[in-house]
Amino acid sequence: MSKNIVADLTAWVRTAAGLSMTIAVIVAIAATIHTGPYLLVNTIVTGGMLALVATGLTLMLGVLNIPMFAHGEYFMIGSLTAYYIFTPISEFILEHPDSWLVTFGPFIAILGALIGGAIAGAISEKLVFGPLRRRSTDNWVMNSFLLTVGLSVLLVNLHQLIFGADFKGIVGYWQGMPISIAGAYISLDRALAFIISAVIVALFYLFMTYTRTGMAIRAVSQDITGAEIVGIDIEKIVLLTISLACALAAVSGGSLLFMIPSYPSVGLEPLYMAWFVVILSGLGNILGAVVGAFMVALLKVITVEYVGAGWDFVVPSALIMLILIFKPSGIFGSDVRGVLDK
Amino acid sequence: MEPTTNDLNMNLFDRVLDRLCLTPIGLAGLILLLILPFIPPFNQEYMLRWLIYCGFVAAMSVGFDLTAGYINIVNFGYMAVAGTGGYTSALLVINAGLSPWIAMLAGGVSSAILGLIIGMISLRLRGIFAACLSWFFGLAVMGLAIKMVWLTRGPLGLRTPRLFETESNFPFYFLIIILVYLTYLVCKWVVRSKMGLAFQAIAQNMEAARTSGIDPVFYRVFNFTMSCAIAGVLGGFYAHFYGILTPDMMHTSKTVEILAVAYIGGRGSLWGGAVVAFPFIFLMEIVRSTLSHLPGLNLVIYALVLILVMIYYPGGFSYFYDTHIRQPKNRALRYFLNGREAKV
Amino acid sequence: MIVLETNNLTKKFGGLTAVNAVSMTINQGDIVGLIGPNGAGKTTFINAISGLNPPTSGTVTMFGKETSGLTPEKMCRLGLSRTFQIPSPFPKMTAIESVMTATIFGNPPGKITDPVAHSREMLEFVEFPMKETVVAEQLNTVQLKRLDLARALASNPKLLFMDELASGLSEGELKDIMRIIDKISKKGISILMIEHIMQLIMAVCNRLLCIQFGTKIAEGPTQEVANDPKVTKAYLGE
Ligand SMILES: Nc1ncnc2c1ncn2[C@@H]1O[C@H](COP(=O)(O)OP(=O)(O)O)[C@@H](O)[C@H]1O
Ligand SMILES: [Mg+2]
Repeated sequence: MSKNIVADLTAWVRTAAGLSMTIAVIVAIAATIHTGPYLLVNTIVTGGMLALVATGLTLMLGVLNIPMFAHGEYFMIGSLTAYYIFTPISEFILEHPDSWLVTFGPFIAILGALIGGAIAGAISEKLVFGPLRRRSTDNWVMNSFLLTVGLSVLLVNLHQLIFGADFKGIVGYWQGMPISIAGAYISLDRALAFIISAVIVALFYLFMTYTRTGMAIRAVSQDITGAEIVGIDIEKIVLLTISLACALAAVSGGSLLFMIPSYPSVGLEPLYMAWFVVILSGLGNILGAVVGAFMVALLKVITVEYVGAGWDFVVPSALIMLILIFKPSGIFGSDVRGVLDK
Repeated sequence: MEPTTNDLNMNLFDRVLDRLCLTPIGLAGLILLLILPFIPPFNQEYMLRWLIYCGFVAAMSVGFDLTAGYINIVNFGYMAVAGTGGYTSALLVINAGLSPWIAMLAGGVSSAILGLIIGMISLRLRGIFAACLSWFFGLAVMGLAIKMVWLTRGPLGLRTPRLFETESNFPFYFLIIILVYLTYLVCKWVVRSKMGLAFQAIAQNMEAARTSGIDPVFYRVFNFTMSCAIAGVLGGFYAHFYGILTPDMMHTSKTVEILAVAYIGGRGSLWGGAVVAFPFIFLMEIVRSTLSHLPGLNLVIYALVLILVMIYYPGGFSYFYDTHIRQPKNRALRYFLNGREAKV
Repeated sequence: MIVLETNNLTKKFGGLTAVNAVSMTINQGDIVGLIGPNGAGKTTFINAISGLNPPTSGTVTMFGKETSGLTPEKMCRLGLSRTFQIPSPFPKMTAIESVMTATIFGNPPGKITDPVAHSREMLEFVEFPMKETVVAEQLNTVQLKRLDLARALASNPKLLFMDELASGLSEGELKDIMRIIDKISKKGISILMIEHIMQLIMAVCNRLLCIQFGTKIAEGPTQEVANDPKVTKAYLGE
């Protein structure tokens, strides 16, 4: 009995997924012991944020076959919305320090970011993806990719044009003493940012697994004609999926506003990190994306810690390239198949 | 594949034109570009500077289209590849005292090697993931250029000697026009040869291509290497024209600029991007400099054009030209637009 | 003379064994029909031989040389050619260009002096009903199948695989196909054809191979296999 579990465990560790996760855990523990727990905290906060962006990206890619290049821009929209909602709130708080907004104001801002992202996603579907889909689905992946490239440039520069290129940041969401866990001090903002992302990812997972709509989305991702035959309204599902994906990115931007101010091209980093995650974990795989997000976050944090700031462009890229070379289907297996694949 | 030109009834002019891959209108356009800097207002130095940038984008978009249009892979790190060439060239001039002209070619070689590597390792990936791989490559190369301060001076940039020791932009303008044309000519020769057929075959149907005896590895890697070599030489030009080289030139947004022009021009045509680049980039520069209180407006227009083209006219300008303009009733006009039509 | 021989050829997709230890031979001049219900693994079998989807185990011997796991382009140079169940020459090319591609790359360099003429000849040979300058994406399935056949023949194969060439044809077109298959065979090309249409199989094939669930259930002269109770059962169910 227990022998069986051990055997299963060793077998799992020897798969690509198991191996990389084991290594990640070991590296995380070793680095934490070596430099201190803040490293782990950073990893977890960044990972939580990244999980939100990356699940949105996998959703777009897995369900709609859109390789989203503009996903970072919805992160930006989220942080921008949160900024403009929270700035008046924080002024109000300054004058009324006992108001209920002290506690709930930040939630309003983050919720606003979520809604803003969803609306932006819906508008993009109506104005950009929908028209393309109705015109032609020839060479869809490449065309929609180029479309998102255009969309990305558009949104970045609209931001610059309308709101200016300066950093729009806040001092913090929640005042108060940092929480201390096992000797590590975690600011309230960080802790709550992580909790928010954990809750949303969990809700999202439950939604995709257990609700009718979530199942419909998965059905569409597997077989669009089949889904149509059983009476799923494709247009509606597509609209919903895009708003959902964009809302996920936006809420991530909103809840991290205290760390990352909003500026036109703020989305580039979350975007390529999310792409790392997607390639690492494979497509349409929500759990994989979550695990991958923490692995990429760890990689980034460790690189910044041990190699130096700025190298986080180089080291993760190099590692992802190695993965692409040796295991093009991603660590958790999927179909990033290539021209010469068996 | 272009019509083969073994026609005996073609006169010498037509035959030469055909060898040079030009139609009469193409020749006229080239001549126009060559006399443009003598026509006011284009003879002003700042306008020439813009035109040189147009030429750079034009040539880059031709090289980009060789990969994007013929084997259907978007090289999303294309400017980073060009930057590699630029940095190689600049460093060779600064540290080894090489002439910028030779260094430019060396830049081409270094980019070709980079292209060879990217081409080899992206072989196993489907279109979009190959694009991602080249993108990550580009990010990594840019990161290196930023971080290897001891070599590249990082974001401060390298001061590079210019190709011509003059303040004037004239010689640079003619050089870039020649480079645009040469890039086009070399690419066109390649795609006109049986290689072009192989490129199209593997892009359109890999299985049928392979069972027809085409080795996709060779052709894909060759294509990638060639297109990157072109970018490298052009990157060298860029470095030795502006006189300053910063990692910024490798940024993804710069690649997007090339990509937009190539696609608005029409994928798979080679000439489309080159033709569109001049008016389009020029207009964008005018917008940028006259409406400088509205920063980003030029890029908004840019993006809108790209989006509209991708949705409503994915064939781009060259498709429009081929379907609506190319075949007029008038015979003289038709000759002007197409040249002597060789009989197959 | 044996043209092709497979020995315990097996192809697995993960847990699914699509082709299970199939051994068979094709002799010079044979027209072998490969039959079996849908999903039996017929296409997978020829993919495994032609290198598009290399076998998991087992060997392939073609013209006396072991060729298991060679790439499709190598197999093509060795004289194997094939058409596809879903015919798909190059969608954006004209008919003549599609054929020319195979003419140029499927033959040893220098063998064909005039590729255009050779390609034209191939189109005529398969009685391609349209103009040679028509773009492939504008063709219907029947026309595409002809074009695909011309493309496959352009590399001058000695062995030809055809995957459901005749499905969806009218009575008249069936006659044309029979005549064309006959012409191909007369050129000295051995044929392995996956087919469902019994009328065609009985008319042109001299031998049959029947597989079901990836396993060979019968092989032999046409009449014999066609009357084999196991084969009838495979088609008609229990
Ligand atoms: N690339 C593949 N991956 C997984 N399973 C496949 C693949 N190709 C075919 N199969 C499976 O192999 C079996 C045989 O398919 P196929 O050879 O196409 O049948 P046939 O041509 O006899 O109709 C089917 O069950 C099919 O689902
Ligand atoms: Mg089949």
